[in-house]
Amino acid sequence: MRNFFRKVGYGIGPNEQVPTDPLKWALDQVNDVPDLSWKGKIYSEKELRNHYKDWVYGDRKVLRKKYKDNKTLYKTHKDILRHKTGQKFWESLEISIRHNEGINSSHPVLAKLWMFWGNFFAISEKDFLANYSTGPYHREIIRPNLNQTFEKMVYDVTTSWAMIHHLDNSESAGPKSITASEDWRRKKKRPATINENHARELLELHTVSPKAGYSQEDVIQLAYIMTGWQQRWSKKKLETGNVWFNSEYHQPGKKNVLGKEYKKGKKSLAVVIKDLVNHPNCRDFVAERLCKYLITDEPTQEMKQPIIDAFKQTDGFLPEIHKAVIKVAYKYNDKYRKFQTPENWFIQVAKTADLSWPPATHLMDSYELGVKPLRSQRLPERILRNIGHHPYRAKQPNGWPDDSADWLSPELLIRRLVYADRSYSFLKAGNDNKEFYEKIIYNNFDNPGKISDYVFKNMLRKSSEKNVLIFNHPEFLKA
Amino acid sequence: MKINRRDFLKTTALTSMYFAGFGVPTFANSGPKKNLVVVMLRGGMDGLCAVPIKDDKNFEKLRSKINLDKTLRLTGDFDLHPVLKKFKSLWDQNQGAIVHATNIPYTGRSHFDGQNLMESGGKIPYQVKTGWLGRGMKTAGLNGKGLALALPMPLLIRGVPMNNNYFPVGDRLPSNDTLNLIDEVYKEHDEKLLGENLKIIMTRELRNTASDDSWVLASNAGQELSKINGPRVAVFEVDGFDTHAAQGATNGAHADCLNDYDKILKGLNQSMSKESFDNTLIVTLTEFGRTIKQNSSNGTEHGYGSAIFLAGGLVKKAQVHTDWPGLKKKELFEGRDLNSTIDSRAIYASAMSTVFDVDFKKITKEVFWGENLPNLSDKLFKT
Repeated sequence: MRNFFRKVGYGIGPNEQVPTDPLKWALDQVNDVPDLSWKGKIYSEKELRNHYKDWVYGDRKVLRKKYKDNKTLYKTHKDILRHKTGQKFWESLEISIRHNEGINSSHPVLAKLWMFWGNFFAISEKDFLANYSTGPYHREIIRPNLNQTFEKMVYDVTTSWAMIHHLDNSESAGPKSITASEDWRRKKKRPATINENHARELLELHTVSPKAGYSQEDVIQLAYIMTGWQQRWSKKKLETGNVWFNSEYHQPGKKNVLGKEYKKGKKSLAVVIKDLVNHPNCRDFVAERLCKYLITDEPTQEMKQPIIDAFKQTDGFLPEIHKAVIKVAYKYNDKYRKFQTPENWFIQVAKTADLSWPPATHLMDSYELGVKPLRSQRLPERILRNIGHHPYRAKQPNGWPDDSADWLSPELLIRRLVYADRSYSFLKAGNDNKEFYEKIIYNNFDNPGKISDYVFKNMLRKSSEKNVLIFNHPEFLKA
Repeated sequence: MKINRRDFLKTTALTSMYFAGFGVPTFANSGPKKNLVVVMLRGGMDGLCAVPIKDDKNFEKLRSKINLDKTLRLTGDFDLHPVLKKFKSLWDQNQGAIVHATNIPYTGRSHFDGQNLMESGGKIPYQVKTGWLGRGMKTAGLNGKGLALALPMPLLIRGVPMNNNYFPVGDRLPSNDTLNLIDEVYKEHDEKLLGENLKIIMTRELRNTASDDSWVLASNAGQELSKINGPRVAVFEVDGFDTHAAQGATNGAHADCLNDYDKILKGLNQSMSKESFDNTLIVTLTEFGRTIKQNSSNGTEHGYGSAIFLAGGLVKKAQVHTDWPGLKKKELFEGRDLNSTIDSRAIYASAMSTVFDVDFKKITKEVFWGENLPNLSDKLFKT
């Protein structure tokens, strides 16, 4: 049963009481969205986007021109600008805030679901999004929606600055829109065309999935509906202006997606999203993804059905969907053990061993703009890259996979061995003793005596190898 | 199939004199060790940017913002992107060839479905849990002979046991005693996959303390492939071909990705023994090509037909193999994409048949479910 605390969360810390009613413990965490537990400074999305602006504007409009004949000076000044805008720091701060929710908050189950939705609506590695924007997008777009409806989450995601930039919707212009007939387009040979990227992902990844059987024409028609939703472009802010609906880019006329007609104009996006989230394939897709994340690579209909039902009965109210999947996870707790992805595993190691992780708030707060961040201040970003599972740097818009096979290879196993070993150096002072390790084992394994013998009755070369044994035990790798 | 119909109508730019002294050796099963390298170009490689057609007014017009201002010459009909310098030098030695207007039979234009299918070789996305290369290796009995230069194990090479991968962590492993303890626990819990992976880690010679730079990866792969008992198959990945915006021409985002591919060729060529490189075939794979027409952000959209690069000593000769479908609107797939006139699975099946010395029919049966694909081995490769 102990694995349940890691299946839906990150395990039980050595100084915590093991909850007597695990199901209630989990269900109680998903009703509300409390403030983030990170006690250090947290910066708003707007503020960080402003740094993004200073970076792109400074590089594109100033440095490239000023140093066009001197590559070395250009590089030097670009590095100065990187530090002036915090380019090498923010993502480590964001990961610290994120991990703190899993490790030190009173709502680790909600944190695990927060991370799920961040990956469901993934912002993959593109331009400088990971450096300035993906963390705040998770905090300000995904997180506040965890106690709202799926429909609202989809709408907020679709109209967020980060997603609009990520999937190029600003580049999409209706071929019959007002802008299409502008003079400059003819002169510059830039006819107005749509960019299908965002529309396609809204169907494929964010709502109905390809199982819905939409056609290329559906993608085009949805792209027409979405024309006009873009970043407000200006000479000073470039692409970092707020998202707005630019009617001059909007394709006029009626559109038809999956057999339903939509009027022209700004309001149609909300209407089409409402229809997409109420499509049966959308409910199935969400249930499938949640089960894959928490329970098994091969969800059954029996598993998905209660989640699909909860979705349908509550119009996609996320706390009820979350409760349904938690109940299913509880029901199948012993039958299915889910191989934990590297980041989940890493957070579990940190929580169950009460490591000095994430970095201390005072260390992160001591960062000064303009100065190169310390190695210790950049550690979160470096570690997650190295374990191959950086949450803001998925390779593609479908985010990181949940399938076990995707996370098993000699190199990925090496990461678990090496980082379990390194975790020893993150132990808090006074914790390197048998009593402490017994607590880790007792709180998180069903057969503590056996595990304890395994760790303490074998001769180990280095003290750190205790951590290697515990955190690479099959019962810990899976939950 | 169509490739036979017009019999590779575009011929090589090289003179026949070059071929005069070219003795084509025949390899039997007992011959030298042959290697197959697959480089996955993720995101949708634009075959028309990499290998543009010459003197097509329509093409030039549709791509006014992203046309290449300088190119390398391949044939009378096709040029090469200027960043592909290593490929060009291999071409000049008859160790490089192109198949153009080709792709897997997938027209859905989704990266995720497309990449899944290009790796699985199946028809329905996410249905097949093994890769065509893994199944081919299994058919050829190549257990433990795969090496992926990537952190996860690509789907492409799954389906055969004991594959290795290399993407150095930059640190030492725990002691062997400890690893042995873990191995015992895996056995006790019947964790076969974990056990297999651990065994590979404990027995291999690759250095875990190195960096994961692409040059290091290619060099190490080259050295491993040159070993007589080393891997027979290597898989690389290059990301970033999805250039919806700022695709650029000679120096753009697509050029950077092509350059990454060229660097892999260079690293392999420099680190492999001559004999090994002469017995190696390096093929590329992508999910789809891109639209003919540039979009308003000077990028291109997801398309259909693309091109495949063939390199290494097992390439038959420098040639652009194509049954060119044309670029007029009515000749395009759905009026927008370069068509695919050659099913690229035929090329991969032929490559596996050639390199693994397995009967072509057996490959199509075991790997592609008996699909009726033409055997192109004689035309493309030294058999």
